[in-house]
Amino acid sequence: MRIDETHKPWLWISAAILAAATLLYAFFGTPRALGSQGGTPLGLAFGIVGFAFMLFAGLLGARKKVPVWRVGRAQMWMRGHLWLGLLALPLLLFHGGFRLGGALTTALTVLLLVVVLSGVFGAAVQHYLPATMTREVPMETIYEQIDSVRAQLLAEGDERAAAGDAAALNEFYRQRIRPFLENPAAHNHPLADPDQARAAFSQLCTLVPPELQETVGDLENLCEEERQLTRQVRLHHWLHGWLLVHVPLSLALLLLGAVHAIIALRF
Amino acid sequence: MDTVQLTIDGRQVNVPAGTTIFDAARMNGVAIPTLCHQQNEVPVGVCRVCVVDVGARVFAASCVRPAEAGMQVATNSDRVRAARRTLVDLLLSDHPTPCARQKHSGDCELETLARREGVTTPRFAPRRPSRGSDDSSLAIAVAHDACILCDRCIRGCNDIRGNLVLGRMGKGFEARIAFDDNQPMGDSSCVSCGECMVSCPTGALTNKFVVATALPAGRDSRPVAPEDLQALPMFQKVSGTFLALNQGAVVKRHFRRGEIICREGEFGSTAFYILEGQARVSLASPIAHVKTQGGAHGFFSKLTSRLAGRKEDRREEEADRRSIPIDAPVDLAYDNPVADLGPGDLFGEMTCMSFYPRSATVRAETDCSALEMLRNVLDILQRNKTFRAQMEETYRRRALDSHLRNVPLFAGLSREFLDRLRDRVELLRFGPGQIVCRQGDPADSFYLVRLGFVKVSEHYPGGELVLAYLSRGDYFGEIGLLGGGARTATCAALDHVEVVRILGEDFAEMVAQFPDIRRGLEKTAEERQQANRERMSLVRSVPLEHFLAQGLLEAQSLLVLDLEKCTRCDNCVRACADAHDGVTRLVREGLRFDKYLVATSCRQCRDPLCMVGCPVGSIRRRNSLEVIIEDWCIGCGLCARNCPYGNINLHPFMVQADDPSAPGRKTAVVRQKATSCDLCTNQAEPSCVYACPHDAAHRVDPRTYFAPMLGQAPGAGTER
Repeated sequence: MRIDETHKPWLWISAAILAAATLLYAFFGTPRALGSQGGTPLGLAFGIVGFAFMLFAGLLGARKKVPVWRVGRAQMWMRGHLWLGLLALPLLLFHGGFRLGGALTTALTVLLLVVVLSGVFGAAVQHYLPATMTREVPMETIYEQIDSVRAQLLAEGDERAAAGDAAALNEFYRQRIRPFLENPAAHNHPLADPDQARAAFSQLCTLVPPELQETVGDLENLCEEERQLTRQVRLHHWLHGWLLVHVPLSLALLLLGAVHAIIALRF
Repeated sequence: MDTVQLTIDGRQVNVPAGTTIFDAARMNGVAIPTLCHQQNEVPVGVCRVCVVDVGARVFAASCVRPAEAGMQVATNSDRVRAARRTLVDLLLSDHPTPCARQKHSGDCELETLARREGVTTPRFAPRRPSRGSDDSSLAIAVAHDACILCDRCIRGCNDIRGNLVLGRMGKGFEARIAFDDNQPMGDSSCVSCGECMVSCPTGALTNKFVVATALPAGRDSRPVAPEDLQALPMFQKVSGTFLALNQGAVVKRHFRRGEIICREGEFGSTAFYILEGQARVSLASPIAHVKTQGGAHGFFSKLTSRLAGRKEDRREEEADRRSIPIDAPVDLAYDNPVADLGPGDLFGEMTCMSFYPRSATVRAETDCSALEMLRNVLDILQRNKTFRAQMEETYRRRALDSHLRNVPLFAGLSREFLDRLRDRVELLRFGPGQIVCRQGDPADSFYLVRLGFVKVSEHYPGGELVLAYLSRGDYFGEIGLLGGGARTATCAALDHVEVVRILGEDFAEMVAQFPDIRRGLEKTAEERQQANRERMSLVRSVPLEHFLAQGLLEAQSLLVLDLEKCTRCDNCVRACADAHDGVTRLVREGLRFDKYLVATSCRQCRDPLCMVGCPVGSIRRRNSLEVIIEDWCIGCGLCARNCPYGNINLHPFMVQADDPSAPGRKTAVVRQKATSCDLCTNQAEPSCVYACPHDAAHRVDPRTYFAPMLGQAPGAGTER
């Protein structure tokens, strides 16, 4: 999601909440005053509100599982996830008085920091990378279809090469193009680099008769499309890969947070 | 009787006065070769191959020269043979040897004569350029290059058959045969009797064999001999040669009571003519539309799709349709879509002529027999006046009433007026591409579409804008008549079209006698004109090139994804599938315009190509121009194939239907209904837009949403 001017209301509200919380902590919550242990009324309030924000943020996953339920627009849930989730960090730090405490609370604090930082990372990635993908991968396809498209590119390449009756073309295809189409993820392949590929195809053009120039052009386009698909895969992994860290750690955070709350309140 | 004595090749012969030299020789066993002369035709002496030496300064054409007393005729002297060889040489130089006839049956008369005269390779160079060919007729192929202008076809058509279609046009090297005033043969008044083809000595006019012309015969069917066909009134004027050459194109099928003759939705290429017995035509598909329900009325309610009939869910602005148009001489009543067909009824015309899917299921009500025929045979029958008169009479008697009454405005016509109108209307046929009426022409008639599809378009500087596609039961022409002036649009046949034409004076009388109808027509005309004006203003105001190249101008509602916000999470697709029983109506793939992806989802096009060809006319446009699919969709899938953007899907439903193997019992069967994006109309917002977490998905009117980008008046993009 792009963080743009439409986020301003959320920004101002979050800033206001943070400012209020900071003032409260500064005047009533610092060790200089009553001590900011989590068990104090203020500390508890910070803890409850912070945990509630975390819980709301965690419910985004559940909201995505029921996309047609009319329980608020998904966009609203996502923005709430971003801003309230971010707000949970200072509130919970205020709750703990910036102290780590025992093993459980230390783990919670570390988890919280990692989750928030990974979330910020994810937000940044989802802010910049969609535009990058749009710009750099004009031949983008649906991610799940990439393998199928690649198979089609290989079949098309075979067909084009078979139609062209020239030894230089056939050899180039057999030795360079086909291996690249079969394994496009090989980074050190010369055709994986656009400049090297352009040079190679330019040279090939000089070795084939005029009637095969179009075939060479088609093969060059196939390689370009293959490179773009590789780029798309890479960008897609960046766009979504961080969730492999963020989601399980978030669940762990919520679980441990609940355990902490039960232990702290009951005992 | 007076006789004449003459000498032919040294032998004295006596023949009746007035006999030609050719006939005199033939009567006495002397064969004179000829190309343009045929025994059953009046000789014209154009080819000169039959020339003989009569001792005069020049040779005489024996086919036209009468025998005279004391004439010394030499038919085979060296000089005569040399002249004949030169003539054949000249004719062969322009002949595409071997021609179609020679290839097919080896009996091209010119090539046979050339071999006999010892002419193998012509001495003369062929003419340039080619005179061309004409492939427009379904039955006969015309190859002008093989024509030797012998005139036999012209005499056969005009003198023997009296059809007066063929003539000759042009001069010198440009001379050739022509149909009517030089129309393509398929568009002319040619009735495909085959007389010209039978008369032609070369491969200039040959029989066209339709691919797979032989219908498969079976246990209960057999090909019909030409003489048996010609015993039927409808085939009496059809050439026996044609029927013999196309024997496999007509079979007689026997159906036992209860047997299915054809099923709705199946593709086919034949028409049926019932000879004996009764058949029942019906729609097996449920008369219901796909309704998406749920959501707004419950916190945890789930959206689901199901079929809902008109009684349960009456859609706004829906017309009070009384009947469903099908490809038969009768329409089906909406509330009880069943009708009977009997001897003399023809059904499956649109399937046969234009290869549309079968529009209804036909089952033998009693043991019955029917002729199943291919397109070439049906085409010849449709050109036969007797057959046409019979079909028209059936239409007037059985379907014209319901057609007129199905036009809501005409529902109030009195029985007396309809009876009078029935005999005054004209049934006209148009081939693909033919203009029914042209923009700017004086308006003199009102039209009702009986068969096929009509395209209504308006011209503007720079192009043409399609306003509508009309199918069976639709009408046009009222705007020009009511306005008292010229046609406001061009109406052209998209395929094989038949229209009912109501003359201007009858139309005027109708609106004078029934003021309610006039008011209704005026209202419809005004609405149509208003819609047309809006569309035309749109076309003139927006820069077209790039926008048009992607067909975006044609859309009224686009689902666009902002690719700079979209994280490719596919939540929109999942939401659409969840909202429609797991069958998504959108695909996150499509054209790109600037930074937007135009997703594959119904665009509510201004030129709805999906509507063309629907066998039951169930996909139509509401007054708001939104494209909807009516309840009687039979799930044939043609609209899905027609949509150039792949935006229509077939949604399977389980319904209860009669079990053919166990009469009286029901069984669950899968039926399909065509569906497209319905904008989740029972929700405040489409599900795809609602479920997008990144504010990337939007349903927009492209004209206003992209206005700033196209340099139009600045304004916020309008979301639908």
